[in-house]
Amino acid sequence: MMQDFLFKASNISKYYGQNVGCKNVSLDINSGEVLGIVGESGSGKSTLLNCIYGNLKVDEGDILLNDKSKTILNFTKIDEPKLRLIQRSDLAFVHQNPRDGLRMNISAGGNIGERLMAIGHRNYGEIREIASSWLEKVEIDVSRIDDKPSTFSGGMQQRLQIARNLVTKPRLIFMDEPTGGLDVSVQAKILDLLRNLVRELGIAAIIVTHDLGVVRLLADRIIVMQNGNVIEAGLCDQVLDDPQHKYSQLLVSSVLQV
Amino acid sequence: MNDMSKDKNIDIQIYNFAYLDENTKRMIRRALLKALCIPGYQVPFSSREMPMPYGWGTGGIQVTSACLIPKDVLKVIDQGADDTTNAVSIRKFFQKTANVAVTEKTSDASLIQTRHRIPETKLKEQQILVYQVPIPEPLRFLEPRETETRKMHALSEYGLMFVKLYEDIAKHGHIETAYAYPVKTNGNYVTDPSPIPKFDNPKMNNNPAIQLFGAGREQRIYAIPPYTNVKSLDFEDYPFEAMKANFKCSICGSSDSYLDEIIVSDDGKRSYICSDTDYCKEQTQLNSKEEDQ
Repeated sequence: MMQDFLFKASNISKYYGQNVGCKNVSLDINSGEVLGIVGESGSGKSTLLNCIYGNLKVDEGDILLNDKSKTILNFTKIDEPKLRLIQRSDLAFVHQNPRDGLRMNISAGGNIGERLMAIGHRNYGEIREIASSWLEKVEIDVSRIDDKPSTFSGGMQQRLQIARNLVTKPRLIFMDEPTGGLDVSVQAKILDLLRNLVRELGIAAIIVTHDLGVVRLLADRIIVMQNGNVIEAGLCDQVLDDPQHKYSQLLVSSVLQV
Repeated sequence: MNDMSKDKNIDIQIYNFAYLDENTKRMIRRALLKALCIPGYQVPFSSREMPMPYGWGTGGIQVTSACLIPKDVLKVIDQGADDTTNAVSIRKFFQKTANVAVTEKTSDASLIQTRHRIPETKLKEQQILVYQVPIPEPLRFLEPRETETRKMHALSEYGLMFVKLYEDIAKHGHIETAYAYPVKTNGNYVTDPSPIPKFDNPKMNNNPAIQLFGAGREQRIYAIPPYTNVKSLDFEDYPFEAMKANFKCSICGSSDSYLDEIIVSDDGKRSYICSDTDYCKEQTQLNSKEEDQ
């Protein structure tokens, strides 16, 4: 069927004055699929992510989401209240720095509950129950439900951010360097958790990262970006094992082997 | 040479009626009309410097000034009392600049300016209640960006407001917020009722009087028109509760008016009295009448 896709962005361009943020980028993703976006710093990965999430206004292109009721929504056409509602219910965004995605002066339970209350939950007991079950899922001790995230370690904060985002059962989750700034053992733990959650809940994900290890582990397909352009796209293993473009080859060959 | 009668008129001549000039009052009235049309919506207005510091009720005074007419009867209360510094000075201010009649009786007043209380005596149609508001934005301490809070109001995104109540229950086992308890006005805007105790919240609902709110420093005016639905926010399993100290007034014996706690001796002995002085006086008179009979 033609309308099988979950999310599709076509010919996205974003300019910052004279400078190119990203140019003519197209991507699509089916439900349950994980797409990796890799590239060097400044290649337009985060710009692209913010554009397709709806945070940044695109200059050209269409962003289509096949929503829960099988209606196709175009982010560039719908009005802001609708977009924000979709962002709260169907989508989720995990920031690199948990401080951007969490409310640091509100308890862990409140952080998880916020999205629930935002979509209309008004029963304290229920909210608390759901929050506890999510803390368990992301392996945070439930007894810390009333502690503030500022008392959590970096890895715990990131896991809390993931829980906060997944609590409303989004169908597509955007992640901007979800493991950046964490030490490798904590990174491994978060990746493991993400992989399980994504598989278990059948959530589609778009992950921006410069870490090829992360995409190798999580992604089904990847696109490689340079200077705002997509220079290579394909199945993850295919691109990483047999890179065609000069820059992809450089990227793959510059991974340190232990 | 000026004679005595001219001297006496000096007060009235050097100030325009009710202190503010006519153009300013007109600007404020426009804001008030807009506020009444969109219940609970915060209308920006160009707040003026007043001859007293912010926090003394400059917002309320400007609203009162814009509403006053010569035949008004003014009552001013501060924490329910007619005889506290703030109330006395504001009352004197309008006596001097507008020469209006003043009263302490709630039922006699046509305009009541209040700080932190709603009178116990039921308000009626034709009465105006003016609140002094320190922080008009109920979301201020939850979301510091004004651009964002405005958007949240515009799109009715009030999940965050409930996060505050959630935090209260998580920390204290019940909704601890005891004053400035957020309300939803006319099923639409979440509104800060100014720091009145939540005991007074139910009085805002369906009130026959006009309720006007002025925040001088923050330059905002908002309003609740007569007979408007005002609902205090709560959770299904933690419903809103209007609460007060569980004692009787030690002066009039009333058990259903809001009480102030007073420490009466060095070893911490407490006494509770009505915060609404007019109501307390009325009750005392009623009691003595009953005794006479």
